[in-house]
Amino acid sequence: MSGATSVPGGGTPAAARGGPAGTPAPRRRRAPFGAPVVLLAPFLLLFTACTLIPIGYAVYLSLFSERRSGLGFGGATTQVFTGLGNYARALGDAAFRDGFWNTAQYCLLYIPLMLGLSLAVALLLDSALARAKRFFQLALFLPHAVPGIIAALVWTYLYTPGISPVIDALNSTGAQVDVFGHPLPAIVNIAVWEWTGYNMVIFYAALQAIPREVLEAAVVDGAGPLRTAFSVKIPLIRASVVMVGLFTVIGSLQLFTEPVILHDVAPGVVSTWTPNMYAYSAAFERNDYGLAAASSVILALVAAALSFVVTRFTRGRDEKRAGKRTPKPTEHRTETAR
Amino acid sequence: MSSPALHRRRALRLAAAATATVLGVTLLAACGSDGDKSASGSDAGSDGKPVALTFWGWAKGTKDVVQAFNASHPNIQITFEEIPSGNAGGYAKISNAVKAGNAPDVFNVEYPQLPDFVSQGAVQDISKLVSADLKGKYLPQSMELTTLGGSTWALPLDASPQALYYRKDLFEKAGVAVPKTWDEFKDAAAKLKAADANTRIATFFPDDPSTFEAMAWQAGAKWFGTSGDSWKVDMGGAETKKVADYWQGMIADDLIRVQPSFSQQWTASLQKGETAAYLGAAWGGGVLKSTLGTDPAANGKWAVAPMPSWDGQPASGMLGGTTFAVSKDSKKAKAAVEFATWATTTPEGIQARIASGASSAYPADPELIPVAKAAFKTDFYGGQDIYAIYQDAAKSIKPNWSWGPSMGATNTSMKDAFGKLGQGATVPSAVDTAQQATLAELKNRGLKVAG
Amino acid sequence: MSSTLTPVRPAADTAAPPRRRPWTLSKTAVNGALVLATLYTLLPLGWLLTASAKNTADLIGGRSLGAGNFHLGQNLHDLATTGDGIYFRWYLNSLLYAGIGALLCALICVGAGYAFHVYGFPGKEKLFGVVLLGVLVPTTALALPMYLLASQLHIVNTYWAVLLPSLVNPFGVYLARVFCAGYLPGETLEAARMDGASELRIFWSIGLKMVMPGFVTIFLFQFTAIWNNFFLPLVMLSDNRLFPVSLGLYTWNAQTHAFPEYYPLVVTGSLLAILPLVIAFVLLQRHWKAGMTAGSVK
Repeated sequence: MSGATSVPGGGTPAAARGGPAGTPAPRRRRAPFGAPVVLLAPFLLLFTACTLIPIGYAVYLSLFSERRSGLGFGGATTQVFTGLGNYARALGDAAFRDGFWNTAQYCLLYIPLMLGLSLAVALLLDSALARAKRFFQLALFLPHAVPGIIAALVWTYLYTPGISPVIDALNSTGAQVDVFGHPLPAIVNIAVWEWTGYNMVIFYAALQAIPREVLEAAVVDGAGPLRTAFSVKIPLIRASVVMVGLFTVIGSLQLFTEPVILHDVAPGVVSTWTPNMYAYSAAFERNDYGLAAASSVILALVAAALSFVVTRFTRGRDEKRAGKRTPKPTEHRTETAR
Repeated sequence: MSSPALHRRRALRLAAAATATVLGVTLLAACGSDGDKSASGSDAGSDGKPVALTFWGWAKGTKDVVQAFNASHPNIQITFEEIPSGNAGGYAKISNAVKAGNAPDVFNVEYPQLPDFVSQGAVQDISKLVSADLKGKYLPQSMELTTLGGSTWALPLDASPQALYYRKDLFEKAGVAVPKTWDEFKDAAAKLKAADANTRIATFFPDDPSTFEAMAWQAGAKWFGTSGDSWKVDMGGAETKKVADYWQGMIADDLIRVQPSFSQQWTASLQKGETAAYLGAAWGGGVLKSTLGTDPAANGKWAVAPMPSWDGQPASGMLGGTTFAVSKDSKKAKAAVEFATWATTTPEGIQARIASGASSAYPADPELIPVAKAAFKTDFYGGQDIYAIYQDAAKSIKPNWSWGPSMGATNTSMKDAFGKLGQGATVPSAVDTAQQATLAELKNRGLKVAG
Repeated sequence: MSSTLTPVRPAADTAAPPRRRPWTLSKTAVNGALVLATLYTLLPLGWLLTASAKNTADLIGGRSLGAGNFHLGQNLHDLATTGDGIYFRWYLNSLLYAGIGALLCALICVGAGYAFHVYGFPGKEKLFGVVLLGVLVPTTALALPMYLLASQLHIVNTYWAVLLPSLVNPFGVYLARVFCAGYLPGETLEAARMDGASELRIFWSIGLKMVMPGFVTIFLFQFTAIWNNFFLPLVMLSDNRLFPVSLGLYTWNAQTHAFPEYYPLVVTGSLLAILPLVIAFVLLQRHWKAGMTAGSVK
């Protein structure tokens, strides 16, 4: 997914969950004014310039529309304040709503599939039976080194009858495979390929960190490997699973690169197939900056709302479970001490 | 301004036109052509320094054309910037540059998009710089498309009459004569399919409304018109309906393949002989040749015929075609028009485009056809005189067609609706969708719509 | 270092006490499944490897590769000469965007993370909360507004338009803070202060050194993110001399439809474009694993 450009962890800010093990933080001190300012300023300035101001500017732009007059040839163009008009147009446009619907379908297919696969592989790798663990880890992780655009291009070839050895092999068995007629699974497959190994590594690391005694206790209790996996290991790395899920949702909302490439070969992938493509098309195909800005703002709001729901939901669960307040991201010490 | 696929399509059309723009120029320049006789009267600065122009385009080889122009025109120096081809947003970048105030002096734009650019205020009225004499040089149907609201906005580089490309061997094998009418075309399609269940006669391009638009144009439809200062949008007329129903029938009867234009699937299917013809335009001859010519077995198997028509009489629309426009804020319009004139009407400029042998573009200035014809090798078409076919087709281009001011929106909505063919959408419903989207877009821009 | 952040189970597979049998999963099944998964991930890469040695007709015709039609050398030659070698300019641009961008970004993140960890100041946790919210904003939803803004400021189509946004990574700041908590013993900083070193000097000569593994991890992540980024350059750049390799390949891919000779260029170009990251991942396994682990351990 083009998505995760700035969410490298894909996994899990321990932030939201718990802190890292490690040395305790030094005594917080009120430093001479200069140092923290110098150290923080570059980030805060850039953060303001590249996140806060663009959002503000988009909100501002979303309130205006361009108007021309007469036939539109040679006349003046005027900016008109249209209030929420652009939002109404975006939301009233079936194409925009279809984009969200496509994204929702994509999420429903992709997220369980990818999470399931990466968990399964991580559990396999974590089992005592697996061999050559380093090799498998690396080989499964490699797709992450492939830019989304190249992944999409390569898979496009692998989907094309007459070019792809895979499709030709399938077709020779009599199955008539028409991948381009079913763009949703085609795109999901590309995303699964790109992200399964990546998230597998996160899960594997979490699994490796489960204290040995816990697993031994399970064995003593007579649990077989499958039972151990489902009732001991997965619950213990639940935090990682949830956070990977959260980042996957955010990433999925940004879906752009893969459908844009498939758009060239699969007519079903329309130019507004995802909300992001809709915004792009509004800005660059229709020169309608107001509409582009409004749809970007809506997309950002939806992402924020979804993240909020996911974190809230899991936090609530945690409170019940642990009977304690989930620590704020920064309370490393309390967490560590636990 | 238009979606990636359309862009690709456009890009390639422009590319095909200008591909060639290349070798010949350098060659000619080296031979000491007298290409600079038109240079007199350019608006060179009073300080005697050459006028510096910037020019944006994305066609392969344009750079060399510019070099040749620069070499023969000491008083005008052009800086060429290759912008991303359509699909990476070439048009969008031009619009943006105009908004940001750093637009080039001259840029390439295709006929359908020209009104959009004019309407955005991105293009300069060059009526005063274009003499009646110059206008008279171009094919009238081309000039018509660069004249909007009574003013001249651009100079046409090529015209693009429609043509039918077909596999002689496959047609013969199935006992099919080259169809003259659309009814015959349908019969031919059925025979080809009967002869080999895997073969279809041609391809409907769901990603490319411009082929469909050319068909509507050919049938005599007029989608856009003006009355006073209001637009008239008529995509639901009888002619369009006839064309839409026809192609819907072809698709429903599985007589035609539905594949994106120039995609790997399309290429692979032509290479395997599973698709027997290609409904294209003049520039398509070069594209087809370079796409399939890499396989020696394909040489000589293809031929060109006039596009079938409804009544059997020659008729054509236009499928793409490129122009040179001058940007709104350029202070060097005179020099820019001089360059555009050179590039579109002189043998030097045109031969340059064609000389690589890869482009079968049809010059908008008919005087230059012999130059183009001499440069394009037709072994791939068994030595056929394909320009003769193009020439007849060009004469039969229906006059009075005009493009609307929001073709970006029109084409995007039509293409997206075509993308859903087989999933609830039909060709007629797609056209209707596009009509509605176009009206909404015009209204949104504050333009008047009649009726 | 992974032991600091990731308490790895001591030799789980060798020293584990004998577990009860019968196993429901056999060794063959487990490793077989892993091999299948690996085949799936490596298949497209393997295809890319063979395809990059094909010419257009063999590629589109789906013909398999043999000694007689091995055109890798020709393809590389074409790659180097097409458009006056523009491909390698894109390659350099990518290295520039990703290298400089990731280096500065890592420095900025570590600086900010260090400040968040070491100092107390009013409103600190609120500020950090805002930064964390930044993690949740979809970057592509931001790209378009950034473009609109950059267009207003007339910096679209410049190196800056791509480089500046690449320097911001709220998640990197978060990660840096976590790493600082893991690697910076308070005593060392205190000792340095006793010696009279200035705060910035302490950061530069002690703090930065001690969190160097974290720095490398953030660098690696950001490098990957920038190298793989497509949307931002797509909206920001129009001059192909400024393109990164991802965008360049995209435009070439569009050209293939008119000029089939571009097909092998795109394929071979794609292969070369993934090499740096593949090599980096193979050589720096320790670092990416550590970074992905840092957050996931409870």
